Amino acid sequence: MLLPFLLRGCTAKHYVQQALSSTRLCVNYCNIRGLATSSGQLFLRRTPQRFLNQSRGAKTHKRKHQNQEDDWKKRNKTVLTYIAAAGVGMIGLSYAAVPLYRLYCQASGLGGTAVAGHNTDQVETMKPIRDRIIKVTFNADTHASMQWNFRPQQSEIYLVPGETALAFYKARNPTDKPVIGISTYNVVPFEAGQYFNKIQCFCFEEQRLNPHEEVDMPVFFYIDPEFDDDPRMARVDTITLSYTFFEAKEGQRLPVPGYS
Amino acid sequence: MSTAMNFGSKSFRPRPPDKGAFPLDHFGECKSFKETYMRCLRESHFDNSRCREESKEYLECRMDRQLMAKEPFEKLGFKDLMEKPAEENKAE
Repeated sequence: MLLPFLLRGCTAKHYVQQALSSTRLCVNYCNIRGLATSSGQLFLRRTPQRFLNQSRGAKTHKRKHQNQEDDWKKRNKTVLTYIAAAGVGMIGLSYAAVPLYRLYCQASGLGGTAVAGHNTDQVETMKPIRDRIIKVTFNADTHASMQWNFRPQQSEIYLVPGETALAFYKARNPTDKPVIGISTYNVVPFEAGQYFNKIQCFCFEEQRLNPHEEVDMPVFFYIDPEFDDDPRMARVDTITLSYTFFEAKEGQRLPVPGYS
Repeated sequence: MSTAMNFGSKSFRPRPPDKGAFPLDHFGECKSFKETYMRCLRESHFDNSRCREESKEYLECRMDRQLMAKEPFEKLGFKDLMEKPAEENKAE
């Protein structure tokens, strides 16, 4: 059923041409007869010229049509080339964005990344800033399943930026089995964390405590003198250092920052 | 680390210590130095600048007993303490 319909569709243009030419003939006939109806004139005016001239000058019209088609084809090709180039450029940009963004973050210090060029030699040359006293409070935590008694030995220390300080934590293993712990730390406020430099501490390495053993754990640190220059730190007077101990299972490798 | 909902604000990134970790003092060899330091801190109302000599002594104890890598004290920020005995020696 559909096939003849389709075939008819294919030849629709031919039929339309035929219909138009027959209508034109009819109109001409009416005009000859002197009838010149308004509808006929309307028809002549409104029908596109190319349909009426179909039979006349078909070859020149075809060439013009061909040129137009060629132009369109060329324009389409250039547009497509531009779009393809833009697409490839976008993909390349998304790959390049990863190292570029990392560089930008390091330079601007966004996202809490460690500012590149943390100078370990500055400990020798830094000058303490005497008029800016900062209170450092200490906090100790253990993971819920960690049975050590872990606490700081001083609640706070008053120091100035550029001065090295020593603080102690105490840990005790009340169980009958040796327990290996590993710790991490946190500094609040977060932005002050980039100025908090630890020279030596007990974090990120496995510490083993024998049954019923108690040890002192020191933290040797200082606050970068540039802390005083940062306008965002102008109102910060208290920094809290918080350590948390977790139990390290045998053979379990924990991801530690910065260590290979 | 940071809490979950802070998308734009900075988060804290822990950094490893500059000189690594202190080995544990299992035998309490430097406990007396630590007690002196803590006493000093308590007496001076936890003012760090007044107890720097004691902290230097504690670190010295650690270095002597192989519980800390030996380093000149200038590199640990005790330059002002090292200069004072030199001046005293010169004065004598």
